[in-house]
Amino acid sequence: MSPLELVDGRFDKLATELRASRPVAPEGLRNRVEEFARAKPEPRREWGFRLPPRRVGLVLAALAILGSFIAAGVTGLGGSTGDTNAVVHGSQAQALRAPTTTTEAFGAATAPSDLPATTLDSRLKGRALPPAQGRLQQYDASLTLRVRNSDQLSARTQQAMRLTRSFGGFVASASFDVPGRQGTSILLLRIPIDRVQRALAAFAGYGTLLSQKIAVQDLQQRADAQTSRIAALRRAIASLEKQLEGGVTSVERQRLERLISIEKSRLAAQQKRLGSTVRRAELARVGLTLVTPAAKASAAPGRFDRTLDDAGSVLARELEIMLYALVVVGPLLALGGVAIAVGRAQRRRSDRRLLERT
Amino acid sequence: MKAKASAEDFAEAAKRHLDDVHAFLVYLTGDRAVAEDLTAETFARALERWHRYDPRRGGARTWLCQLARSTALDHFRAEDRRRRREGRYAVAELRESAEPVFGEELSPALERALAQLSAAEREVVALRIVLELDGEGAARVLGISTTACSTRLSRALAKLEKEVSAGVAA
Repeated sequence: MSPLELVDGRFDKLATELRASRPVAPEGLRNRVEEFARAKPEPRREWGFRLPPRRVGLVLAALAILGSFIAAGVTGLGGSTGDTNAVVHGSQAQALRAPTTTTEAFGAATAPSDLPATTLDSRLKGRALPPAQGRLQQYDASLTLRVRNSDQLSARTQQAMRLTRSFGGFVASASFDVPGRQGTSILLLRIPIDRVQRALAAFAGYGTLLSQKIAVQDLQQRADAQTSRIAALRRAIASLEKQLEGGVTSVERQRLERLISIEKSRLAAQQKRLGSTVRRAELARVGLTLVTPAAKASAAPGRFDRTLDDAGSVLARELEIMLYALVVVGPLLALGGVAIAVGRAQRRRSDRRLLERT
Repeated sequence: MKAKASAEDFAEAAKRHLDDVHAFLVYLTGDRAVAEDLTAETFARALERWHRYDPRRGGARTWLCQLARSTALDHFRAEDRRRRREGRYAVAELRESAEPVFGEELSPALERALAQLSAAEREVVALRIVLELDGEGAARVLGISTTACSTRLSRALAKLEKEVSAGVAA
């Protein structure tokens, strides 16, 4: 196709004339150029890239990605050969945790914690510290038991609540949760102190005892002190009332009446405190936790899994660094690119003006 | 795989495309003597850069014309600086020469008309009409789009014809 066909057929004559008389290089120039041609062209640099820059960029990007994967792999393999006990996930940690059983009486006794659950069960069942007879005591107990499955978890929870009510106590709070793998039921119970030992013995039979903790705090001294204070206040009030019955001035009467009023309010407060102390001593606080066994799972991850985990974390870290670099360097690169583009455009415009002027 | 640009290739390319490069530079500069110097300079540069030439990205003629244009632009810039410095207009003086520049057999009207065109107009005429490069190749040499190249050619030819008609009428 003739170039003119793309433009207009009117210029055919013009084009024919231009082509017919195109300039030909003179002999002298031809000889000069032939001399160049006889010389050896600049050899290609062996270290130089033969690929076009765009392809070089792609190759570099591919190498960078490959390098990051290799680094992740190497780090993953290196990390996975370490101590296998070092990687313990939450559920595994829970499974591995030794059952701790503590019995505290005035913060004193502590049972050994490395005994198997069955041993604990047999040794502690029926040995819960009994409340002292004839003394006011605050009795706190917590038990953790393992039941067979979620059905039994539900049944035992209901049974414990019924038993509590049958003993004259009540359920302060209840939480029953069976999300999937491991079910948990947590009951906070208030049980009359004279029946708490029977209740604990009954609860211990609900499943395998994993832990038991009992704390007893003596309240008798406090109650005695409060009783004495009440007696003193009563005596003081009686004395003031006796003074009031005698012949006193109106000013003195007002003062005595105010004092009596103050003492009576003090007495009421003291009686309230004593009532509270007695109530605390009447009901034991029992925390009962029932759990189902953790479903299989939780096998320690194999070397392959650990390698994958480590490699994944390294890749994530690399990605983080890359994103950071992109955020920091990106604007500079963009500015550089814009500057280059503007420079080229200006150069092109300048060249065009120059050619139009010439 | 990229074909190797060897010494033999360069010799062959220089021999085959010397007239093309020379003709392009004659049209671009409007001065035979300058065109000869620039042609020699172009081939000297081509020899140095021959290892960069990639046949897959275009023919040797296109590559040599790109190089020739770049060489000519360097010359124009240098001339421009010199003229500004000296306050003289060398090109205008040269154009007053009676010697035919663009071709021995060109009609005087066409010769004058070509001289009236700007270098930018003459270069597109040279590439598309005289050297018969296709639109894509010419656009690559000029560093513009194919459409822009066609538009520029159309305007240049229209102007050329107008100048020829005016010259004949005179």
